[in-house]
Amino acid sequence: MSEKVYNIDDLQNINVEGEKYIILQIGPSHPGSGHMRLKVWLDGDIIVKVDPDIGFVHRTSEWLSERREWIKAVPIVERIMLPDTVHANLAYVLTVEKLLGIEPPPRAQYLRSLVAEINRITSHLYGIGIFGIFLGSSTVYMWAFGDREPFIDLMEMLTGARITTSYIIPGGVRWDLPNGFKERAETVLQYMERRLKDYEDIWVKNPVVQARTINVGTLKKEDAIRLGVVGPNLRASGVYYDTRKHHPYAAYSNLDFEVPTMKNGDSYDRLLIRVEEIKQSIKLIRQILKDIPEGKIIADQIYNQLNPVMKKNYEEKKRVMFPAFMIHMRPPAGEASAKVEAGRGEIFFYIKSTGDKYPYRFRWVTPSFRNLPYFTHVTVGHRLADLPTIYGSIDYFPPEADR
Amino acid sequence: MSEVRKPRDPLTGHVKALAKGFKYLVEPNRMTLDYPAETMKLPPNYRGFFTVDDKKCIGCSMCEMVCPPEAITMVPRIIGEGGKTIPAPEGEKEVKGPKRTKRPVVNWGKCIFCYFCVDVCPVDAFIPTQVHDLAFEKDSEYRPSYEDYLKPPEEPYKNSKKVISKADLKRGVSYEPAP
Ligand code: SF4
Ligand code: SF4
Repeated sequence: MSEKVYNIDDLQNINVEGEKYIILQIGPSHPGSGHMRLKVWLDGDIIVKVDPDIGFVHRTSEWLSERREWIKAVPIVERIMLPDTVHANLAYVLTVEKLLGIEPPPRAQYLRSLVAEINRITSHLYGIGIFGIFLGSSTVYMWAFGDREPFIDLMEMLTGARITTSYIIPGGVRWDLPNGFKERAETVLQYMERRLKDYEDIWVKNPVVQARTINVGTLKKEDAIRLGVVGPNLRASGVYYDTRKHHPYAAYSNLDFEVPTMKNGDSYDRLLIRVEEIKQSIKLIRQILKDIPEGKIIADQIYNQLNPVMKKNYEEKKRVMFPAFMIHMRPPAGEASAKVEAGRGEIFFYIKSTGDKYPYRFRWVTPSFRNLPYFTHVTVGHRLADLPTIYGSIDYFPPEADR
Repeated sequence: MSEVRKPRDPLTGHVKALAKGFKYLVEPNRMTLDYPAETMKLPPNYRGFFTVDDKKCIGCSMCEMVCPPEAITMVPRIIGEGGKTIPAPEGEKEVKGPKRTKRPVVNWGKCIFCYFCVDVCPVDAFIPTQVHDLAFEKDSEYRPSYEDYLKPPEEPYKNSKKVISKADLKRGVSYEPAP
């Protein structure tokens, strides 16, 4: 940090055309984990101001979803949050279920939590890997991306697709646990626990990493609350808030887990919190697989509409087919909202229905968008070389923010 | 959490990191699949290319309606006797006189393999396969004709070694010959 104090609210000082500051354009072609541009004003190599220019990967997910049948929004929202598809899918379906007044059966709730936790681990590993490459360590990048693989294989076994699972549908889920899933999951979890110890030696407690991240990009607790950042980044600043605990959905109210928090709110804490959350997710997956109740995986309202061929498929292959209701559903007029704790933070959904074939208003806020203040507020006063550290540590994903 | 955060003293830290790196240098935990010499046998519910059973399909267009990227086109089809364009297939003798109906064709350039169509079909007429690695040379191959669409997708690298992935305590994922 420089000695000089820059007041970020007093931006008039910055003479855009003047020669006092160097303006550096970072991006827009994929400066990190997606297309965005960072406009950086530099005094020597001290950052005076950062203006994140977002929207390069805006894909009109809201507009598209307002012009399609309700079920067709599932793949759309998934493609926005690619490393974190299950949570987007879940948040949307929870909102639609509130409108429809359907409650999924307990087994489906547990299965939702199960895929969500598997997805949280892959999302955090993705974040840790990207952070690694930002700091110049291709080792941890390869390791983290490689270690996503066993978990993605689990998702593939359960849902039939590696990333874009489209697994959660209004009323329940599409497939039941396949044979041998529990044993395989247990092996994968034990493998990951052992690997986390290796990560500690080679990456988390590596003196180089500590030197580059400790006290870099600190966001104090009060500021974190004031700026409205979410997810692991918020908890790294010491705020005890997790949607899974405070507004439980799926099976989380029956599950026992901790919400790790840190004190300092610097880049190092944001790395540590992700490692701690992976440990919690491992604990959660074990618990879910132990406690998962028997029973239907789809709500009775949907099950009763299945025709005999579909019912036979359900009994034999544990596969839920779609009744015509899925195409023609018209949730009653009204508004609904839902919140879900995704890997990077809280997703918020708001949908207004007029009882029509399409949603009338489709609105969602993704966690990366809400973590945007990090660029403007915590970078100021740091050296330019610290910018990748801060960018990497907040696990920012431009396609997700732009929606 | 303060004990997690405590900086490691640099000497121990570097030595531990190097030792771990060296360990993996000598004993790497590779999970690479030697594609295409080895190809995977995927789980039975894996969502790959699929075709439709011409005899089962009733031409209801539900699959076309549910497809999120609108990849399915319904093509006209005449079944039964007197069919001019396409001769009537076996097993449909009971249909008297030509009957106009429709059949789905998937545009592979648009399909996202969500399997909504497969699941919505009231007679379960789609035939899913686990073939996922097809490449198309020409634009027209993306949009097959109905006759081409009926052919089951041909797996590339038929002579490759078939393996299945397995969770492995040491390597995360390992591959062993498929049974
Ligand atoms: S799998 Fe999905 S995208 Fe492909 S044709 Fe079927 S419904 Fe359409
Ligand atoms: S939903 Fe099934 S029966 Fe109906 S048109 Fe499609 S393939 Fe044929």
